[in-house]
Amino acid sequence: MINLRPLLRYPLVALATLVALAPVYWMLTISLKHEVDQFAVPPLWFSFTPTLEHYRDAFLTRNFGHYLITSTIVAVCSTFCALVIGTLGAYALARFQMPRRLDRKLSLWILSTRMFPPIVTAVPLFLMMRDLGLLNTRASLVILYTGFNLPFVVWMMRGFFLEVPRELEEAAMVDGDSRLGALRRVLLPLVAPGLAATAVFCLIISWNEFLFALVLTQTDAAMTLPVGIAGRVTQYEIKWGVMSAAGVVAMVPILIFALAVQKYLVRGLSLGAVKG
Amino acid sequence: MSEPSNSGVGYRVPGAGSDRRLAYLLVAPTVAVLVALSIYPLIHVVTLSLQVTSGGASRWSLGNFARLFSDHFFLAALGHTLVYAACALTLEFFLGLGLAVLMNNQLRGRSLFRAALLVPMMLPTVVAGVVWRLMLNPNFGAVNGTLRSWGLNTAALTWTSSPRLAMLSIVAVDVWQWTPFMFLILLAGLQAIPQEPYEAACMDGSSAWQTFRHVTLPLLKPAILVALLLRTMDLLRVFDQVFILTEGGPGFATETISLYIYRTAFRFSDFGYAAAMSFVLLIVTNIVSAFYIRVLQAREA
Repeated sequence: MINLRPLLRYPLVALATLVALAPVYWMLTISLKHEVDQFAVPPLWFSFTPTLEHYRDAFLTRNFGHYLITSTIVAVCSTFCALVIGTLGAYALARFQMPRRLDRKLSLWILSTRMFPPIVTAVPLFLMMRDLGLLNTRASLVILYTGFNLPFVVWMMRGFFLEVPRELEEAAMVDGDSRLGALRRVLLPLVAPGLAATAVFCLIISWNEFLFALVLTQTDAAMTLPVGIAGRVTQYEIKWGVMSAAGVVAMVPILIFALAVQKYLVRGLSLGAVKG
Repeated sequence: MSEPSNSGVGYRVPGAGSDRRLAYLLVAPTVAVLVALSIYPLIHVVTLSLQVTSGGASRWSLGNFARLFSDHFFLAALGHTLVYAACALTLEFFLGLGLAVLMNNQLRGRSLFRAALLVPMMLPTVVAGVVWRLMLNPNFGAVNGTLRSWGLNTAALTWTSSPRLAMLSIVAVDVWQWTPFMFLILLAGLQAIPQEPYEAACMDGSSAWQTFRHVTLPLLKPAILVALLLRTMDLLRVFDQVFILTEGGPGFATETISLYIYRTAFRFSDFGYAAAMSFVLLIVTNIVSAFYIRVLQAREA
């Protein structure tokens, strides 16, 4: 391998880490600074008196608390729906041979629906939700995110199912279990870590999603945290402290989740193509 | 990286006929949802794009597609998207590869560094946009503030609101956020390479560069392909960060295809024309995703 001396390697890695983290840390400081300190020149990285006033302002005075609740409900409901529907589909595709390799073709077709740029379907889906009277509702986002996460769930869970030897289920079925009984009692416990990781990925994807939320929810009652934040960024007068506080709150659960699924991160991001 | 093959020995248990029915039953909800939320919208995009509305009545026409060729906004947006994608992809690839090689060796605290490097990628794109609005603010942002404290004149560095620097800024933010993605996939690829080829190269007395060129790169090719294709698809559809950072401005200097489609559809309510542009974007990204699916298929076979 390339033999860079450790003396050279550590500074480079440290520099990369600094570049990755410093901007995020900067947002964190802005969310905790009094306004005078926010505009200080040169910038105050460490020495300032922290305050929680922006968090109070954002989540108690303004509507960010409400956006937070909406984001949570939408992410949890859509993840649940996608997991239930997708896991059953994945099981069928992993365990049954359909005629003319239909199972393979279906799997790839399901994956390909995931590849469309979201903006392409934004117009028809907006019109669909408008005609259904679902604009500015949480339900519209739950429905869309379920569809959005479904290919991901199918593809991930199919991979996890294929890794479990069939013999284990067959043994259970010989002992008198039905197919779905074997799925529930034998297979699902074995893939539980993968299922949990897939669920966390779905939560992250739904929580972070912006375009559809922007297009479909424009009222305070229905908008998610990212849309609420974006609305404030593009206003003429920007409240930097409030923005940053909201940004920090939108970020923290995701980072915790991401740490929890680190082991599966590569697999999730490459839709199972690279198994890290 | 390979999966146990699903084909070959037939899977026969009592009641295979009812098994097949069960399989269709289990996969039906997935197919139904995807038809409703992916296939139907796609068909709708095509029919919308083929209709022109004038004076309240709509008729079939290729007018929306004809308009594309003479629309400066569209051609400019196409150009911006390609420049953005090409620059970001190149930078992210080389930086990500460099970091992956750097971290592939024994390194104390590697898992900690790895976790830290992943932070930008996990951020909601909107939050990444906010972070960099704060960093790049010409008056009190940390970037200009730091430069000024070193005695540099930053009057000209208005970043996202400067026609010259806006594109550079949004590419830089993308590189900041997504280099970790390349790094992660390529590091996983590097770690999947067995030791033997290196030992052989070592016995042959290859130099470090020769080993990298003739052993590492060929064996890393699948991971490289996956990383490049996934990133390309994402770059061609970029919307969130640019919307937050510049809204396509100043003027229209950073308007990408997705942003222009958004503006056409949801500011001007010109759904037919937006659909025509969506269709073009779809074709372009489909070419990339077809490659990707072929790679996956080859892997599974």
